[in-house]
Amino acid sequence: MVDKLVKAEWGQEPANPARRRVLAGFLTAYTASLVPWALAQPVARPEHGAFMALSALLAGRRSLDAGLAARLHDALGTTYPHFAADTQALLTQINQQHIDPSQLQQALDAAHSPLAPLPRRIMRAWCLGLVGEGEATRCIAYENALDAVVVADVLKPPTYAYGPYGSWAQPPVAGGGKAS
Amino acid sequence: MNAPTSAEVVVIGSGICGSLAARKLALRGAQVLILEAGPRIDRGRIVAAFRNSPRKSDWMSPYPFSPWAPQPEYSPKDNGYLVQAGPYRYPAEYIRAVGGTTWHWAAQAWRLVPNDVRIKSLYGVGVDWPMTYEELDPWYQEAEEILGVAGADNTGSPRKQPFPMAPVADPWAMRRFRERLAPAYPVVANTVARNSRSYGGRPACVGNNSCQPICPVNAQYLGINAVEAAEAAGVKVVPNAVVYRIEHDAKGRITAVHYYEPDKTSHRVTGKQFILAANGIESPKLLLLSSSDKYPNGLANRSGMVGRNLMDHPSSSLTFYADEELWLGRGPQSPSSINTMRDGAFRSQHAAYRLDFTNISQVLSVTEALIAEGVYGPEFEKQLRWRAARQVNVKNVLEVMPDPANRITLSSEKDALGIPKPEAHYSIGDYTRRGAEVSKGDFAKIAELMGGTGLRYSPEGQFANNQHITGTLGMGDDPAKFVTDRFGRAYDHENLFMCGTGVMPTAATMNSTLTAVALALRTADHMVPRKSAAAGSVTAGGEAVTS
Repeated sequence: MVDKLVKAEWGQEPANPARRRVLAGFLTAYTASLVPWALAQPVARPEHGAFMALSALLAGRRSLDAGLAARLHDALGTTYPHFAADTQALLTQINQQHIDPSQLQQALDAAHSPLAPLPRRIMRAWCLGLVGEGEATRCIAYENALDAVVVADVLKPPTYAYGPYGSWAQPPVAGGGKAS
Repeated sequence: MNAPTSAEVVVIGSGICGSLAARKLALRGAQVLILEAGPRIDRGRIVAAFRNSPRKSDWMSPYPFSPWAPQPEYSPKDNGYLVQAGPYRYPAEYIRAVGGTTWHWAAQAWRLVPNDVRIKSLYGVGVDWPMTYEELDPWYQEAEEILGVAGADNTGSPRKQPFPMAPVADPWAMRRFRERLAPAYPVVANTVARNSRSYGGRPACVGNNSCQPICPVNAQYLGINAVEAAEAAGVKVVPNAVVYRIEHDAKGRITAVHYYEPDKTSHRVTGKQFILAANGIESPKLLLLSSSDKYPNGLANRSGMVGRNLMDHPSSSLTFYADEELWLGRGPQSPSSINTMRDGAFRSQHAAYRLDFTNISQVLSVTEALIAEGVYGPEFEKQLRWRAARQVNVKNVLEVMPDPANRITLSSEKDALGIPKPEAHYSIGDYTRRGAEVSKGDFAKIAELMGGTGLRYSPEGQFANNQHITGTLGMGDDPAKFVTDRFGRAYDHENLFMCGTGVMPTAATMNSTLTAVALALRTADHMVPRKSAAAGSVTAGGEAVTS
């Protein structure tokens, strides 16, 4: 799972370099300064640009799975009719007002902004693989949702074998996989 | 449907108790038919359904819902099948499918402690069991050998023969609890129906950490293993057969049961002996449904106790951050307990309890909390790792006393086939609440010894339910007070027997499955005694599965 994710990082080259778009084109100087590692990340389709920029800001990850990004974008767009416009509006607001991602939710909540639900929707999609509300919630990702990826050096997602019988008796070794 | 219309023994319910009783009877030559309301389900599909589930903290979510055999579900909203009469909600969960509710369980396979069966004599509360612990020992042993139970001898439940398997290896986190809580609290390995080596044709645990909702690799014993063992012994199982009435003759002997197919086609199945093994809610429901002119209050109900004395194990808990990285989620979900409060003179005053440490991965709950708090940017990953490594939880498993007011009745609401739904009347008494209060002192001490910060107690006066549905068909020696005799035979019907957790007269402090299986094996032995008793046999029935 981890190997596959590493190979499928956002930084994959597109099939046709002449059509290459990079994330920097969707950012201002301020937001670019928040995610300097992501500036050269290709963006597959122009309509993904704002979503991927916002995702990079919220998730704070060096890499995001390009294939999953496309699927989450489509699912969010289908579920929430104003998703594309809201995403662009929130990115613009962050750019213009220089909002730190760590303060974003509190700022939106305090202002009773109509955009307040958006960051949680995007994070829930990336981190839990879930899109939608209540009974209409759909699971888009599990093994490659960020909550699994972030701890993949120590834990396996439930239902996946941890290792040979008794391997869990060893101390966990963060960063280097499990002890053997 | 080309299903049998008669059998020597008809069993209602294909859970672990009904199936293992059926198997035992078949091995002794009886022709046995099991009628199961729910469908056959497949392990691989359940695993896939869980991975694709939008509600991964709801362990019922991967299990299919059958309109003809409804089961209670509470998320994303209460499906209203188990009607709540109050005053305290009783959100019991169970699975109606071939194999029953132990498709998902923690596989904790505890014995009682000896004083549990004498609680009235010793402490003046509850009722005594109609048997001694010593009488139960060989049936426990047989159950443990069939299920493949791994355990240690330091849990307070004596035994004459060794466990089939050594305890499952401690996860690192549980070892640290054991080391840091000693000597104040002895942390012991749970007694579990989980393989610590290959056993019964099933592999050792490989730590999938999804014992609930589903063990993907068959390392823990499930009801479906019992069904397959019963079928191998010659038992016929009919799925999607919703029994809705039990029929008797003028003398009170049971003559037949009636069941619906999903399209409501009705069938009648005759038999010589009958076992009701449909769990502590569906079994009394069926007895109450089968009322007749001769038995206007339902079958087996001369005592008026059918459905009464409903018990379970409520839990309150403490969640906190330990001061070292423990990373719950490595290995099986339920590995360790503190057993010192399961018995003592205090039982005259307040509930006994077991203290249970979870080893369920904390990643899901931590992630949900971070999103709710709006923690974004690089801090998200940092916080996720910090919390997932340190967040731990300890809960009590509290004893509930039998109280006739806590009961299952028939609701005026009906299910899709027109069968009345079960209705739960439930409360949690002061005896149990006092036990919860005492356990808070243990919680605080445990947190202190683990360098705990960020202590979060479960809300005051609120309890989680453990789905150990107990007591609605209680066994005892007085026909005026109990539904069945000491062998699970209905006092009112000489050829009707009951198997399952419902027959337990008290709930004690252990997960109830192993005790119910031991009693079911004992009931089956009573129904069809072995023709030649083999003196010195290792197991009571001599029919256990061995490795």
